[in-house]
Amino acid sequence: MGLTESQLEALCEMVLGLVSAEEAEISADSSETLVLRSANNDLTTNAFNHTVSVSLSVSFGKRSASILLNQTDDTSLREAVKKVEAMARLAPEDPEALPPVEPGSYAEPLTWAEATAEMTPGDALSRLRPVIEAARAAGVESAGYLLRTVSRSAFANSRGVLVPSHDTRLGFSLTARTGEGRGSGWASTQVTDTTDLDLLPVGERAITKALASRNAQARPAGRTTVVLEAAAARDLLSLLAWGLDRRDFDEGRNFLNGLVPEGGDPIGQPLFGEKATVFSDPRYAPAPCGVHSSGLPMNRTTWIEDGVLKTLPVGRFWAQKKGISPQPGPGNLIMPGEGKSLDELIATVEDGVLVTRFWYLRMVQPQTLLYTGLTRDGTFAIRNGKIAGPVNNYRFNESPVNVLRNLAASGAPERVLGSESQMPMHVPALVVKDFNLSSVSDAS
Amino acid sequence: MHRRDWLKGTTAAGMALLSSRWTVAADRAAMLSEKFPDFASSVLAKARELGASFADLHLMQLDEESLFVREEMVQGVGASSSQGGSVRVLVDGAWGFAATSEISAPGLLALVDAAVAMAKGQAGWRQLPVEIESLPSHTGTWHQPVESDPFAVSLEEKVEGLLAVNRAALGKGASYCHSHFSAVRERKWLANSFGTQVEQSRIRIHPGFNITVVDPKKGEFATRASLRPPRGAGWEHISEWDAAAESALAVEQAREKMAAPPVVPGRYDLVIAPSNLWLTVHETVGHPTELDRALGYEANFAGTSFCTPDKLDSLRYGSEIVNLFADRSAEGGLSTVRWDDDGVETSGKEFPIVKDGIFRNFQMALGQAAIIGHKGGSNGCAYADSFDAFPIQRMPNISLQPGTDAAVTAESLIAGVENGIFIEGNGSWSIDQQRYNFQFTGQAFHRIRNGKLDGMFRDVAYQGNSVDFWNACDGLGGAPSYELGGAMNCGKGQPQQVAPVSHGAVPARFRQINVLNTAAESGKSVAVRNRAREEGAWCCTQRSTHSWA
Repeated sequence: MGLTESQLEALCEMVLGLVSAEEAEISADSSETLVLRSANNDLTTNAFNHTVSVSLSVSFGKRSASILLNQTDDTSLREAVKKVEAMARLAPEDPEALPPVEPGSYAEPLTWAEATAEMTPGDALSRLRPVIEAARAAGVESAGYLLRTVSRSAFANSRGVLVPSHDTRLGFSLTARTGEGRGSGWASTQVTDTTDLDLLPVGERAITKALASRNAQARPAGRTTVVLEAAAARDLLSLLAWGLDRRDFDEGRNFLNGLVPEGGDPIGQPLFGEKATVFSDPRYAPAPCGVHSSGLPMNRTTWIEDGVLKTLPVGRFWAQKKGISPQPGPGNLIMPGEGKSLDELIATVEDGVLVTRFWYLRMVQPQTLLYTGLTRDGTFAIRNGKIAGPVNNYRFNESPVNVLRNLAASGAPERVLGSESQMPMHVPALVVKDFNLSSVSDAS
Repeated sequence: MHRRDWLKGTTAAGMALLSSRWTVAADRAAMLSEKFPDFASSVLAKARELGASFADLHLMQLDEESLFVREEMVQGVGASSSQGGSVRVLVDGAWGFAATSEISAPGLLALVDAAVAMAKGQAGWRQLPVEIESLPSHTGTWHQPVESDPFAVSLEEKVEGLLAVNRAALGKGASYCHSHFSAVRERKWLANSFGTQVEQSRIRIHPGFNITVVDPKKGEFATRASLRPPRGAGWEHISEWDAAAESALAVEQAREKMAAPPVVPGRYDLVIAPSNLWLTVHETVGHPTELDRALGYEANFAGTSFCTPDKLDSLRYGSEIVNLFADRSAEGGLSTVRWDDDGVETSGKEFPIVKDGIFRNFQMALGQAAIIGHKGGSNGCAYADSFDAFPIQRMPNISLQPGTDAAVTAESLIAGVENGIFIEGNGSWSIDQQRYNFQFTGQAFHRIRNGKLDGMFRDVAYQGNSVDFWNACDGLGGAPSYELGGAMNCGKGQPQQVAPVSHGAVPARFRQINVLNTAAESGKSVAVRNRAREEGAWCCTQRSTHSWA
């Protein structure tokens, strides 16, 4: 089921042929989604869904409008074109409107794997079953989520751009909880290619952590050194990346405005610690992403290198106004890290806390990029370079800017899931000094 | 109008108002209404043939409009429409579910095969069978009455409205102002093997703005967002709002906030306006009392709950004056429907969650009540946010009830505070996965000294434990001070589903709540921290008030 890339390309061309507006941009997507969800060691709300979507924007000069629909029959598409053109004609002129992008040079994406695309619900069930059986055998209650998506898409515009894309992805996470002692553990993975995927080790990590986190001891809040496992690190790194914006900075309403003097430029400034390097690369094989953003080619981009801010995302209008090149935001994020094992990182900490993952991260203060959130599913005290035992959870109030400033050491990058987005990321565990654990959470 | 009369009132006028300006959407909806009985008959028959002990068919059409204005530039004129269907089956004690955007007899019948295969794939390794209660059958239609269909209001009027907001803000000296509007029309058709076959539609609308003032010399800025909540209502929710006046006031408040003294962290008496408190109700009462969370169904994402079934009828959730009531029938409520997505009629299913301070009820969907020995079955809290989403337990409208004295206002609550803060508007929010430890900010923080407002504070957040917080409540506004807040996008489930929900509240007073200085939390404002230490307040703000249990 679903539409092939060539069918999607033909659909885009057909719709562009219906458009009488001066300019148009269309994106068509066809997806197959397989969901296996479990709780209390049984499957709960599974699903196998097929969907399509068509997004069309048109403009008459500087008047524009957009429409999104999920039907591809001739009548629906014609009515959608008629509707969006009527809306565009009525829309006031936007002085910042630009025509669609010109054709560019697009890299070949690495986001597709046949094995993932061919995975059936039965295949997925058989891979999940050993995980649930392992949880039962260990006497823990598990709750898991497997999401496999296969999407094909095409993007085209009235300037001659026509780019097909495809993406296969599987994400899996498991929470294991103990009846006695309020233990909880979590582990996850995300892959493009499921050929060698074995979910059992992921489940076993969660189960082991749950058992190890029973009978947590009280430990007070306060600023301390933390070892953030990759899932926690990726949340903070993605929040930092999304906070970077050239226009917001130029307009005086970005956290960077508080870091440089009036009239100064943050690019080239050592705003972070020397160990901080973060980049995006659509063709980075361990965590690839799409190769264009609305027709604008996406290439390898270094955001931070050795602590120095190198690049800010900038939209097309603002780039033109400032005489600089437009820069799409990140489609993936990579932090190479220092390659140390988790045990080696823990060994560097005299007194601190190991964090498995975060939960409910929210911006508290945009002026400093201060975020709040909580630890969950495996929080452990570190004493004299070793795990000293499970401790209570915490609320933190901390800025990812400080995290990269206070970065003391890092591990080897991993592709895991986070709480905030499922954007492909390959990031290591981090050792961060002076991290603000603001208060104790009674959650377990 | 009494809420039940309003909920049952399917008027000709209501129907007429739902005609769409996008003809294909209206035409398709009419087509679905016409064909639904045949679709339902064949899908349910096939499900029975394949061994389903229960099955339902959902069709859904979602039409949306949105508008975004940056300063005086109209930058986002958008519309969307989606249709699709899903089949849910219970076979041999296991759920199966499949969905498609292709609504045709063959397409829907193919879903039955896929859903049954998914359920049968669990044969032999389930631990416990899924069991559901029998539900009464219902037939009929319900279309939410609105005074003015937002989809019928001209684009010009909508654009002019937002431009007026932004011009008022910019005229008052705002550096920037963004405003937005969105409207959603949700149509659903549901048939199940209990004999239910219903059709309903509703409308929700969300206006808003966010203004920014910048001090480039200090590298500082402050924002103030609109306090106007989304509502299950028509265009009248916008036409009744003096948005330009609020945006001008917002500029003054943002400027005052930027120049205000930083709050000294410590314990303060708080008077919280409904525009802030609705979200606190949502996070500290709404989510903890979802039975699926308490039973572990959300453990991998949204979390579990401190509020476990053994605490029913015994947990002192709040002080004796605290009453929190749940319904899916309140006029204007974002969660209001006539039938939930399991086919339960919501009218008559209203229930107290907290009565006189005691925890009394969970929110439940199909198949959950018996697990805790509750004999009444589901209380109508199922919802699926799209045609391809499995219905799960979602929040009804949950509201803090007014105090007994109708004459009590925010001002009279403030009069009873010596040293405190009056908080308006919701800002940042976060709470742990078992709903103990929360932290909220707001839009405006007015200092209270000796019973009167006295300027503003900046950098305020309040933090606490849900049960301690509600037990610290010692004052409630009267019925005239009741306001309905809410959100369009409450998140839950995997894949995440977003649900609209309203929460009514009155101004309420809470004694000795832990207040943080957010700048100090970021490590920026050392001066504030030192000052707090001198006053003996800092250390006690950094500890949970609860012992480890």
